[in-house]
Amino acid sequence: MSSLVGFLSLVFAIGINFYLFLSRYIFKFQKQKFNLFIRFSSLLTLLSFFSLMYAYVVSDFSNYNVFQNSHSNKPLIYKISGTWGNHEGSMLLWLSILSIFSFFFSFTKNIDESFQRLTLIIQSLLHILFGLFIVFTSNPFLVNSILVNEGLGLNPILQDPGLAIHPPMLYGGYVGYSIVFSIAIAGLFQNTDDEWLYVAKKWSLISWTFLTGGIALGSYWAYYELGWGGWWFWDPVENISLMPWIAGLALVHSLMMVRGEQAIKKWIVFLSILCFSLSVFGTFLVRSGILTSVHSFAADASRGIFILLIFFIVTGFGFLVFLLKEPKKSNALNLLFINKVSALVINNILMIIATLTILLGTIYPIIIEVLYNKRISVGGPYFNSTVIPIMIPGFLLMSIAPILSWQTNKINNSKKYVLAFIILSVLVILQSYFLDFNTWGFVGLLLGFWIILASVIAIFSSYKIKINIKFFKIINPHVAHIGVGIAIIGITCSSVFQNELDFNLNEGDKFNVNGITVLFEKIETTNEINFQSLRGKFLFDIEKNQSKEIEAGKNYYPVSKMITSEAGILHQWNKDIYFILGDQKNNEWFVKVLINPFVSFIWLGVIIMMYSGLIAVYRR
Amino acid sequence: MKLSRFYKFLHIIILGFVFFTLKIFAVENIDERVKKLTLELRCMTCQNQSIYDSDAEFSNDIKKIVKQKLQEGQSELDIKIFLVERYGEYILFRPLMNYNNFFLWSFPFILLIIGLFFVLIKTKRNKA
Repeated sequence: MSSLVGFLSLVFAIGINFYLFLSRYIFKFQKQKFNLFIRFSSLLTLLSFFSLMYAYVVSDFSNYNVFQNSHSNKPLIYKISGTWGNHEGSMLLWLSILSIFSFFFSFTKNIDESFQRLTLIIQSLLHILFGLFIVFTSNPFLVNSILVNEGLGLNPILQDPGLAIHPPMLYGGYVGYSIVFSIAIAGLFQNTDDEWLYVAKKWSLISWTFLTGGIALGSYWAYYELGWGGWWFWDPVENISLMPWIAGLALVHSLMMVRGEQAIKKWIVFLSILCFSLSVFGTFLVRSGILTSVHSFAADASRGIFILLIFFIVTGFGFLVFLLKEPKKSNALNLLFINKVSALVINNILMIIATLTILLGTIYPIIIEVLYNKRISVGGPYFNSTVIPIMIPGFLLMSIAPILSWQTNKINNSKKYVLAFIILSVLVILQSYFLDFNTWGFVGLLLGFWIILASVIAIFSSYKIKINIKFFKIINPHVAHIGVGIAIIGITCSSVFQNELDFNLNEGDKFNVNGITVLFEKIETTNEINFQSLRGKFLFDIEKNQSKEIEAGKNYYPVSKMITSEAGILHQWNKDIYFILGDQKNNEWFVKVLINPFVSFIWLGVIIMMYSGLIAVYRR
Repeated sequence: MKLSRFYKFLHIIILGFVFFTLKIFAVENIDERVKKLTLELRCMTCQNQSIYDSDAEFSNDIKKIVKQKLQEGQSELDIKIFLVERYGEYILFRPLMNYNNFFLWSFPFILLIIGLFFVLIKTKRNKA
């Protein structure tokens, strides 16, 4: 029953969008009515999504999708998150988020009415494309042809709270760029004033913040669920999410230039189209099954072709309009060496190069396979030695960029910065001399600390310190950059200065981790609702009274016959101690302990960046 | 800032760099070299995991082979070529810098040079 409701409301929503699209040419009606229709179709799409969710919650196995991807003895949260834990459901989530964005956009005030309507019509067009995609190739409401009492279960690796909210968050970013795309196209068509740039700025900031959160959640999940001790693997799917992220970052920075009344409008439009194209392209790569990863659910060629078609329509249409409808001439750029505008231009160039490099590295193996029928890998080492060096000048620049002037190339207090940089270099040199030297470690620490230091100096020497909202808005760019600096320190330390210790242990053995005694207490197996668990229990720091217990082990999911590793992580502010329980050989357990310094800084940095993203949304 | 103070800093920096170079050229021990190399190799039986990070049987075998060959005095490139002959280029996370992959490796830096020229030309024109 719920499947029927879901399907009908989905089809009905698509129908309304068809009608709205046609209304531009045939059936014209007023604004009020138009917006009502948009909202109604959004609600219908949501209804469709929630009826699928309902089917999951009540384990309605007459729905084929639920049967394939759920199981009745799963905790409620994973029944809910199971809704988007599969291809069909996640595409419906995609469509629902698209309509949520249209819904909220229809409430935007103070913008030109015909511009708003045009934007929403383009959104409708996208709604139709993705809606048809769902109906024809990925229908989540198919009826199960056999009568069953039990489902096949959700991939256990996805049964995790972090991953339950990762897709909606990430899609908030991907799909959020659809509205930026629509705004940019509508802006090109209308070409009246610059008002659309402010609107685009707000929405691109929202999308970027969502995308940041989504990527961070995904990598945090990889950190504690995959049990490899790292959090970023340059996996093709990670790269795909990184591309719109960097392009979106370039977009947000370009939109800052609007404040200086020197809009590079053409560039902004280009980036807006690029961001959404990259999002759709990413979806195509993941969903077509060309790339293999945890994200590519059942691969199906027809889906790939359909998404490729959507990609060509979106990108082709976008760039065609872009080429035909040139924005009105804006003022010439005031580029000096070095003022704010040139810093922003350099930053944009670097970000685009980084995006294109990631794109090339990600699709290169596919190209080679098609051309030469040879399998090759382009992995982390390639990206580390191309993308990171390219970004370094950008990182150096960002430390001072917010205080550069728009008009001249003078920097206030330049001596302070020079002095600070020299002192910092000396300190980092000393650090790397007395501890381990590593080129990347050196560069990363220097950059990270320099960005933070320069931003702090800038805040204290350029503005009067006040505690009110206005002040936080003014220093917001600096705060964002401090977040980046903190994240760079975390990234550098956790990857370069990671320490690994291997042990072969019996139950009851004591061992030494960085001078702290750890007891390998016992091995315990238990039966949980939907899995069996094997846990090694460790007591950390047994010499103190308040020793901490850590559990590391594996889970076995009988329904899908999969084993997942569950790392035991002891979080401290300055390091994570990461326990991995290996296999048993000759009556001894293999235990790997990783000491990851300053991992928490990465997440802290990300949170600061997201905070600034939100603050900037409110900034006008 | 007075000049004399500046020279003091300069001194420290130069000293620092001297110590630095000494450290850089310090001999790496065999395990570090194994780690460095196996981090750049793909575990063929896992999903996007390096041989170093993986505990699969395949990875453990390769680790042993790499260590043995390094002890025999073979260079990293020799070992890579040996592995490529056996398992194909798919095993290398860092594609070989050869004629075939010229585009892959040069692309980012060509873009960088173009970008640099663009900025230089544009900023120069506006200087006057």
